[in-house]
Amino acid sequence: MIRKAVDNPAVDSICHIPTGARRRSVPKGWARWVLSAPLLLFLTVFAVLPVFYGLWISLTDQSVLRSDINFIGLANYAAVLTDKAFWSALWFTVWYTVVTTALVLVTGFVLAVLANRRFPGKRGLFTLLLLPIMIAPALMGLMFRLALNGDTGLIPGLLRHFGLDVSLFDPHAVTTLLVVLEVLQWTPFTFLIIYSGLQALPAELFEAASIDGATKLQAIRYITLPLMGPTLFAAGFLRAVDALRTFDVIYVLTGGGPGTITTSLSIYVYKMAFISGSFGVAQAAAVLILLIMIPLAPIIIGRVVAQPWSKK
Amino acid sequence: MTIGAQPPARGHRLNWEGLGATIVVSLAAILVNVPFLTALATSFKTTAAISDPLSLPIGENATLQHYANAAYAAGYDFELYFRNSIVISCSNVVLVLLLGIPSAYAIVRLNLAGRWLLNAVAGLRLLPAIFFVLPLFLMFQNLALIDTVWAMIIVDTFLNIPIAMVLLTRAISELPIEIEEAAQLDGASTYRILLSIVTPLLAPTLVAVATITFLFSWNDYLFAVVMTTTNARTIVAGATNFITSFGVLWGDISAVTVLSVALPVLLSIFAQRYLVQALAAGATK
Amino acid sequence: MLAGASSALGATTVNMVLWPGPEGDAMQKVVDAWNKEQGAEQGVRVKMILLSRDNTFSRETTEIGAKSSNIDIYFVASYNLNFYQAGLEPIGTIGVDESNYFKSAIDSLKIGGKLYALPLDVSNHFLYYRKDLIARLLSDDAWKSKYRDITKTVLGAARDPKDPSEWDADDYLATAAFFSKSANPDSPTQYGTALQLKTLVFNITHWDDLLWGLGGNWLGPDGKANLTSSAAKKAMNIYSTIYKNKWTSPDSAQAEFSETNSALESGNAAFALQWSAAYAELTSPELAPRIADKIAVAPIPGNPHSTHVHALAIALNKYAKNKDAAEMWMKYLATPQGMDAYAKAGGIPSMPKVLSDNVHLNAAFAPIIDDVGKYGYSPPLFSGTFDAMTQMIEALNPGWVGITPIDDALADANQKLQAQLDKMK
Repeated sequence: MIRKAVDNPAVDSICHIPTGARRRSVPKGWARWVLSAPLLLFLTVFAVLPVFYGLWISLTDQSVLRSDINFIGLANYAAVLTDKAFWSALWFTVWYTVVTTALVLVTGFVLAVLANRRFPGKRGLFTLLLLPIMIAPALMGLMFRLALNGDTGLIPGLLRHFGLDVSLFDPHAVTTLLVVLEVLQWTPFTFLIIYSGLQALPAELFEAASIDGATKLQAIRYITLPLMGPTLFAAGFLRAVDALRTFDVIYVLTGGGPGTITTSLSIYVYKMAFISGSFGVAQAAAVLILLIMIPLAPIIIGRVVAQPWSKK
Repeated sequence: MTIGAQPPARGHRLNWEGLGATIVVSLAAILVNVPFLTALATSFKTTAAISDPLSLPIGENATLQHYANAAYAAGYDFELYFRNSIVISCSNVVLVLLLGIPSAYAIVRLNLAGRWLLNAVAGLRLLPAIFFVLPLFLMFQNLALIDTVWAMIIVDTFLNIPIAMVLLTRAISELPIEIEEAAQLDGASTYRILLSIVTPLLAPTLVAVATITFLFSWNDYLFAVVMTTTNARTIVAGATNFITSFGVLWGDISAVTVLSVALPVLLSIFAQRYLVQALAAGATK
Repeated sequence: MLAGASSALGATTVNMVLWPGPEGDAMQKVVDAWNKEQGAEQGVRVKMILLSRDNTFSRETTEIGAKSSNIDIYFVASYNLNFYQAGLEPIGTIGVDESNYFKSAIDSLKIGGKLYALPLDVSNHFLYYRKDLIARLLSDDAWKSKYRDITKTVLGAARDPKDPSEWDADDYLATAAFFSKSANPDSPTQYGTALQLKTLVFNITHWDDLLWGLGGNWLGPDGKANLTSSAAKKAMNIYSTIYKNKWTSPDSAQAEFSETNSALESGNAAFALQWSAAYAELTSPELAPRIADKIAVAPIPGNPHSTHVHALAIALNKYAKNKDAAEMWMKYLATPQGMDAYAKAGGIPSMPKVLSDNVHLNAAFAPIIDDVGKYGYSPPLFSGTFDAMTQMIEALNPGWVGITPIDDALADANQKLQAQLDKMK
């Protein structure tokens, strides 16, 4: 009995199934277990076990300040939930994620559409555009710090040269600066994904539209955007997940400050673990972060399946 | 073969559009590379010249000292770190593919466990990495794996499996099933089909997965710093040794950044085409 | 205690953590010499593990938290020794002659009367200033008169410029104004000073200097947090006035050690409160050609002059595998000979006699001996010190840069400090 691949929601939710893709009939169930055994084993030992271990730690008072470890139930969770700093870190991280993801999708899309044609120097420029993805975020943070240094950095130097005496680290503008840097760093990433998606759009649609007299902009609005929905979504999702965990660049540039206004959730957990030495509390905070993100997952998955584009 | 490219405009309009695109894309390329260009320039400037933002690394302001420092500065064994990074990243790629390809096939074609497994694996990516630092450290501690390349390979595999699975399952689901059904009718076993037919067809995706996995593994910082001290230190973690109590040695750390980026860059030039192809939604075989 | 040192299998390896920079470089030389000579005799081989400054302590926190035996000797400092205490072994058995050390350094490494770590480098602050500019200020009549005008506005009463070694907090404030273009368009420098305001735990120590120099303290005589005192308010005012009026670059909000050096090196700032470790760089013709011969040091402004002092140190892991061997190595480092080798290799040991013997090597030694001896203080050291320092800077720097009102920032810091103190009981 040949069953449709589209009956498998797991596949639907992540993969874009062209109509008609099907699955083979499976007389016996052994092959699938044999094939996936290595992965399952690996995940059990190195993913599932640590998860339980981590949960256990979150229920104890393990800390660098004491030699003994005691079970204390949900006390750590209560401590985190009543910590003002946790909520402001959460608020900042969510805001940061939403804003940078939206912006980076826009810039990536515009660039991808522009680059989606033959033009001189395409091959070389492409490589240059993808270069930031190659650099470790931790090192990227340091490079930003160098380039933005008020006395020796290139950017302030250039700005001063043109008469603009702007302070980039002004406390009121520091969050804007971080957003700009994040967009600069990750536009190549969304650009790559969106550009690849554009390659798969059928040319005939555009030809038909142009014959009908549609302008380029109209073509983008009525054909490209709707068809690119899932791809934009995938790019946005991947980017958002990383933005939620942002640590390196912010920590290097501001240390989470001034005060704690740029303390992201990761920085909060990091400080709890390594500066307060309270491992139990830090683990509890990490679990809470996960719990907050889990409800978002069905919404995200639901949107993809509901795309009118993927007809069943 | 890009089937989605805009149809070329007629006549002389092509030149303006092309030129316009070049200009905008060039600006974007320069803008996103400001940090790297800064690092590149700084790595060749003398320490004194570094304090002048607009100086160029030419003439008396140029030096190769920082590269010398990066390569053989006292106590920093960069040759070892470089080797470690290569060993760890390549092994990571191999392990991810070995674990991922069969499982992805089982999920897509063999109806393994349906919704929850793939979503669970993809969902692993949502967990804050810092949640795992202490448990994994303690586990590896007990297995005496701290500061070994194996610890890093395992951790990196754990980090990269989700995205590999997402890409692999998608690619497999887009393969025309007829080929496999034909082979099945010919009597080939599932394993045979996977090995001889499906895997070769996945080549572009495999290159993409390999590239992404290699990159993330190469650039990992948090776990490299926690799991390694000297023997298994990677080049990115080692770079932070130049953040000293004396302040940051900008010239040296810029040189290290440039060195550590060299290999990924070469890789990406090679894999560029496959990356685009594999990420494209839709089959073009 | 030399039992079992050279086993039939060869030397025992002792793992020791150090952080990179002058301390690491200097120690590497001492280690190499030891491994060749005394170490070879005694069968103890030392292996140094270098971690970056940013990661040293967080990595050690992980190791200590996990009760690991990977490392025999940890690198610690006065301000976090208490933090790590649960994983450390007191080193009384080594037989340290405490009279060799600066009292403040050795005392800062004791907990409950027991010595837990061996001092290595002593660290303090100086007022680094441009002696060429100050010389002119003290002699040029036009400048002097302008200075008087500025002090009238800033301090409410005119005063004459003084030599930096005599400055109190008000002189510091007024001179910052004088050398800033925003208050004095004729100033030779853009900014008077370069504050370090980034949310980095070490940055709180500079503000502490002003606090102590105004007669304040973290704690009141009753042992409770005292950050709402008038001295604290005044110290806050000084910082926030300087920032608000642009007598320091607005980028100072994210500045720390290296940014302050850059400000001085580029000639954009006339003076700054900075760590003793900066001396070598700022006076090096190679690294700071523009100002190398124009920089001088003075004690931190205040009445009394007060400089935060802490010692970097090495401590013994409670769970170390090679305690005997480690103690043999530490015993050597505790001797003046060991520390002399360290000084000659580039370190700044906490032994006054060693420093004075080696003054010709490093011109910073003389002022260090002076300042640490006369003006050194250390904040209250307890298990929550490091955490408290972090929380204090997080609470206070919004007040410095004008995001939060000063009183609110102080109240917040005070409450957090008290909470840390309460945790101890």
